[in-house]
Order: sequence, then C-alpha cells, then structure tokens
Amino acid sequence: MANYGMLINTKKCIGCYACRTACQRQNDLLPDEAFIRFEEREVGTFPRVRVEHVPLQCMHCEDAPCVSVCPTGAAKYGTDGIVEVDQGRCIGCLYCVAACPYQVRVRNSQTGAVDKCRFCTVAAEDGTKMCSCVEACLTGCRIFGDLDDPDSEISKAIVETGAAPIAGDLTKAKIYYVR
Amino acid sequence: MTFEPIWNSIIAWYLFLAGLGGGAYVSAAFLRWRHPEAVNMIRIGRVIAPVVVIVGLCLLMFDATAGLHNPLRFALLLTNFGSVMTWGVVFLGGFTILALIGAGLDLAKRRVPLWLDIAAAVFGVCVAVYTGCLLGVCKTFPLWNNALLPILFLVSAMSTGMAAVLCVAIFRHPEEFNRVGVFKKFHFCLPIIELVLVASLLFVTASNASPAGWESVMNLVGGDCALAFWFLFILVGLVLPTALETWLLFFSPKEFEESRKAHWISFASDAGVLVGGFVLRLLVLVAAMPLTLVVPWY
Repeated sequence: MANYGMLINTKKCIGCYACRTACQRQNDLLPDEAFIRFEEREVGTFPRVRVEHVPLQCMHCEDAPCVSVCPTGAAKYGTDGIVEVDQGRCIGCLYCVAACPYQVRVRNSQTGAVDKCRFCTVAAEDGTKMCSCVEACLTGCRIFGDLDDPDSEISKAIVETGAAPIAGDLTKAKIYYVR
Repeated sequence: MTFEPIWNSIIAWYLFLAGLGGGAYVSAAFLRWRHPEAVNMIRIGRVIAPVVVIVGLCLLMFDATAGLHNPLRFALLLTNFGSVMTWGVVFLGGFTILALIGAGLDLAKRRVPLWLDIAAAVFGVCVAVYTGCLLGVCKTFPLWNNALLPILFLVSAMSTGMAAVLCVAIFRHPEEFNRVGVFKKFHFCLPIIELVLVASLLFVTASNASPAGWESVMNLVGGDCALAFWFLFILVGLVLPTALETWLLFFSPKEFEESRKAHWISFASDAGVLVGGFVLRLLVLVAAMPLTLVVPWY
C-alpha cells in the first residue's frame, strides 16, 4: 500500500492556473467548481519584492477533520492514504466544509454534494497517469508520489528542499510546500 | 481571497429554532413543577416545542441540497457516531418524538406522564447544547472552538424558549401569566448570565493563539457585524429585557405589574429576547474567521 502525497514548489509557480484548468477538465468539473484554489501574497521587503502564488488543494490529511465530522460517512479514507468523498452518500450539509482548516472543499452547484481534489483516482482506475495538475504544470512545480517509499522522487525532493506542510502541524497534511 | 461564511441565515434559523424548541419544553416541565396550576402555559410550551423544531429540521433539510435531491441519503446520517451531527440527529429525533407525544396527549386532554416530561426536557437540553457543540468541534474557527459556546447557546435556548411561552401567554392567558412569578424570575436571570458568557467568549476568543480569534471578535464589536451585535443582540436582546424586567419584577407596584400596560412591556422584553437569540446565532455563524486565511502560511 502506497501513501500518496504531493510536493508543490511555490518558488517555481508563476500563477498561470494551468493546473487548475487541467484538473477541471480531467475531473469533468463545472465551470464554477475548482479543486485548486490560488492565494497570492507579496513577500520580501522593498525594493526586493515578489508575488508568491500558493496553490491550495485537499491536503489528504491522515487525521482529516472532514472525515471525523461527516455524519453520513461520505468523507472517508480510501486506499493509499487518499481522502475521498462518496458522492452517493453526501447530503451537502457542509459540515466538512466548515471543519476543513484549508477551505478547499467545494459544493457542486448542480448536485449539491461536496467534492475536492481526488488525487485523480478516476484517472488511476482508467490506467492513465495520476494527477493531471502535475502533468499540466509548465514549470514543473509539482511532484506526486509515494511518501512511504524513501527512494521515490517526492521523498527525495522533500529531503533536499526541506518542504513542509503549509500550516505546520495543524493537521497531518500530505501536500508539502517549498517556499 | 475574502472569506465567505459557510453557513448563514438558514442554518442560523435552524440553530435558533432547535434551541427555542428545547427551551420551550424545558419551560413546560419547569412550569409543571413550580406552577402546576398554569395548565394553559404548560400546554403552550408543549405545543411550541415540536412545532418549531420540525420547522427548523425542514430548513436544515432544505439547506442540505444533495440530501434534498436524494432524500433516502438522510438515513445515512446515523452512520458516523464520531460526528456531532449524528448525535444531533439522535437528540433531535428523540426530542421531536417525545415532544409530539407530550403535545398530543395534552391537546387530547389526557394526562402527560411525568417521566415523559422529564425525558423530553432532558432531550431538550441535549438539543440546545448540541447546537453549540456542532460548531464547537470545528477547530478551524476560534470563535466556535471553545467550551463556552455550547453553554452560551444552552442559556440562550432556555431564555428564548421561556420568552416564546411568555409571549404567547400574555395574549392567550394573561391571568396565568400574572401568577408564574418563579418562572419569570428564572427567565429574568438568563440574559444576565448570557451577558457574562458573551463577554467571556469575546475575551477568550480575542486572545486565541491565532489572529483569527482577534479578527472574529473585531468583526463583532467593530466590523461589519457591529451594528447588529451592539444594537440587536446586546441592547435589544440582553440589556433591554434585563432593564425592563428588573423594573417590572422588583420596582413597580403590584397593581401595575398585572395591568395590560405592564403586559405590553413584558411582551416587548420577551420579543427582544427572541430577536437577540436569533441574531446571536447569525452573528456567531457569519463573524467567525478561519485559522488559515488570516494566518496564511507564515
């Protein structure tokens, strides 16, 4: 069993939103539904300033607050450490949206159910490569892989770059950020 | 990104009505204990309780769009007992059934067993506390994630439940309204306790480790919510009822207290409590700021 995670290098991110668009196409999302949210902020001190783009998406926490609050069991831990939403069980009460500290869960305006980054499990089942956002990124910000395998590209990159979850130990998040 | 509240007025109505319903039944049980002769007021409490809770539940189902489209999914609500909402469904379900039986028996002029009133009152308290715990377990929001909020919601629920019973009694049974002195004195205390709890909640939240706590409190006392907070909640919902009732209960002559004019003043005070109860829920929902937006990854 793998324990999937992702690394996002914001130093390389140019804020082109290609990952978000690719994700929307891959997962057949509505135009107003995006699994990746961008935050921009100014960093540095004048005159050496730049804009940092931070793409945020489901962190697939090992201790996911959404899973513990979901009353119907729609939010659940799937295989390989992926947090899933069973669209057939969700009643759209938005309790998970309130519980998620990263505000990365979105409501599908047609079905009313809540959804979020799936680490492209849909694609994986089809046999194609996982995570279209990784493929789509023009500058190679993103690495997807098995966090439990010390020889995987992502594990090595985390060690090399000192990447860390976005908000410390707020939750046991599996998206690592280089900043 | 500016933060949009996840839940707003529909859920605020639901939280308010669920608390009010629980409080109304507790009022009925209290009246049965201290003022058994006020049979009509007891009936008012027993009838209000299930009606408002059912209205609240309908609002909740209306807000849960995916469930509204597929109603059978609501049965799944009983699958995760680690979730406060699942416990809420148990409490609300139990309470609604007990309160409906109590109201039905009373309206059919049959004797309501004491155990039924006690059980329904206990479930009523559980429902009121649950509305606070529902928000309280969300670690994302410092304004919610503390042990004071469920207590505040409980006190407010009892206060609004009693106010609803008193409001109806003023018009339907003023003779009984004049005789429930102990009930009115308990009702009088609740807004004062609420004031203390709100002040404590604001102080504790403002000094939360995350700036989100401070931002939430500032939203309430000086930001977009300030007018509603100070005017509708603090003044109309807490201070005004306390002032009016202090005067009526302790300083006005007995004859005046039982006059129609005094009844109107009582009505204004109780209506204020109801407005305050709703505004409290709404403000707590919309003023709360999440941890990770105000402290974005520093």
